[in-house]
Amino acid sequence: MTTHVDTTPGNPPELNAAADGAPVLPPENRPTQSTALRSLTTNTVLGGIGLLFIAPMLWLLLASIDSHASWGIEWPHFSLINFKHVLTGSLLHSLFNSVILAVISTAIASIAGVFAAYSFSRRKIPFKGPLLLFILFSSGVPLTIMVIPVYEIFARFGFLSLFPTAVFLSVTSLPFEVYLMKNFIDAVPIDFEEAARMEQASTLQILRRVIVPLAMPGIAAAAIFGFVNAWGSFIVPLILISSNTQQPAPIALYTFLTLPKVEFGNIAAYSLVFCIPVFVLYAASARLFREGFVLGGGVKG
Amino acid sequence: MTAILSDAGTAPHVGDLWKTRHDKTRFQWSSLALLTPAFGLLAVLFLIPMGYAVYLGLTNLTLVGPTAIKWGFTGTQNLVRMKSDTEFWTSLWTTGFFIAGSIVGVVVIGYGLASLLMRARPWMRIIVGGIVVIAWMMPAVTAGMTWYASTTGGGTFGTLTGLHNTNFLDNAPLLIVTLANIWSMTGFCMLVMGAALRNIPSEAIEAAVVENASPWQRFRLIVLPLMRPTIIAVVLLVALLSLANFSLIYIMTQGGPGTATNILPLYSYEQAFTFNNLAYGALIGNVMVIIASIFGVLYVRIAARS
Repeated sequence: MTTHVDTTPGNPPELNAAADGAPVLPPENRPTQSTALRSLTTNTVLGGIGLLFIAPMLWLLLASIDSHASWGIEWPHFSLINFKHVLTGSLLHSLFNSVILAVISTAIASIAGVFAAYSFSRRKIPFKGPLLLFILFSSGVPLTIMVIPVYEIFARFGFLSLFPTAVFLSVTSLPFEVYLMKNFIDAVPIDFEEAARMEQASTLQILRRVIVPLAMPGIAAAAIFGFVNAWGSFIVPLILISSNTQQPAPIALYTFLTLPKVEFGNIAAYSLVFCIPVFVLYAASARLFREGFVLGGGVKG
Repeated sequence: MTAILSDAGTAPHVGDLWKTRHDKTRFQWSSLALLTPAFGLLAVLFLIPMGYAVYLGLTNLTLVGPTAIKWGFTGTQNLVRMKSDTEFWTSLWTTGFFIAGSIVGVVVIGYGLASLLMRARPWMRIIVGGIVVIAWMMPAVTAGMTWYASTTGGGTFGTLTGLHNTNFLDNAPLLIVTLANIWSMTGFCMLVMGAALRNIPSEAIEAAVVENASPWQRFRLIVLPLMRPTIIAVVLLVALLSLANFSLIYIMTQGGPGTATNILPLYSYEQAFTFNNLAYGALIGNVMVIIASIFGVLYVRIAARS
């Protein structure tokens, strides 16, 4: 994964020095031997924590490629049959439902979000302070706890299906997306927009031609957040989607546990397949954040 | 506060008359159109349900049966029931333990990892940091599934500790689900703490080293005060995320065995959809909203200041 690179840049020099086993100032207080010992301790402790963290993942990795998998960990009878099994029929259909759910939800949250973020960033609006605090508040509070009243409302209107559920999921990621995109739009120099305004560009044109392209890293990061949020959601589709054929992958994964015969290998393989888009998208968003903005040369003084 | 609330980008540039005049825009009606989609959605699917839940909690609505169709206001009946509902109070305590345990575990391990990784060898940083971050990225259902497999009878934990047929999940369910939750949130804490640690000016640490300050003094007198806002924000976010972590526990134990891991979101779901008491489930949901709002308000105060 690329996210770990976050820990690399900008290390204070004296800490890097310690890592290389070189003495940190003042030298007389730190004989090289004790630094080496400390470095050894640090790396041993880290290695131990790493092993503890990887232990629960072992089953997932080994069972997915084992044709005779169980709950235990053992040397696998290597085969890709589990992956073949889970990428057919209703299981594949559930993954497809997850894609639809996440794409619709992401589209709604990102479009509504970018409009709101733009006007928070650039416009004079009454009660801006309190409204922003409300956005910040709802970005922290998990809105999925509203699922019972939403269920009652949806049930009354016959909305217990994929599309309305996607809309509700978009609302659960919307506040954070607005907040994130506003910060990125704030960083776009106003000069670009004023130049466009001089050319009689409308607000929608400015958004589409100026703001969206220039704040793309932030908008993409927000969209990725929304996608991952909808993709991984379990309780919301569990309660709000009534049709069996519309169930997304997390529900299908849970259903494995309720079957009379537990298909260990298939569970592991399906879990891994389900994780892959999340890992890929997080890696992409880490890259977006590292690249940051290259707007410095855009405005001629 | 000001950083967020100021009209970034619209500040008038001195000496630029055209800009000053143009930027002193009055309220534009198109702003309303831009805000409508987001706030419309938040109103319809957040604020209205929140208000509606307050009412639902005081009714006799059920999922099935006669009161599913013909239901109405029953006053404080559900509140009286809640007061003497031992399962509710147990659930509240379980939630408290789950949240508190998660906060302590996530912050201590996350901070420890962040500071150790700064001093570690590069390959160690990549491998260990990578593993912890992958654990964090894993969706809650998958994390729950792999933790269930690892801690059930005959699972990885049994094999590694030599206690082959011990069902850890049945023996210490609340501890195991809390550990699973810590496992899945530490990566986030590690990244945030790592970023905050790198922002500590190295001069401050160097000065302390020259003054012969012990590592503990350096931590307590320099690092900790500078990290305070970050730590508080992480604590509140972990509390909020744990409070709503239905998926992980539902996959692992479904609140059991008995009521051992029945935290509030599971109890609310159980009342509403297993016992069909939608109204009572909504009332338990309202308790969660109150708890979440307290954490949320504190979080806003911290986040808005920085």
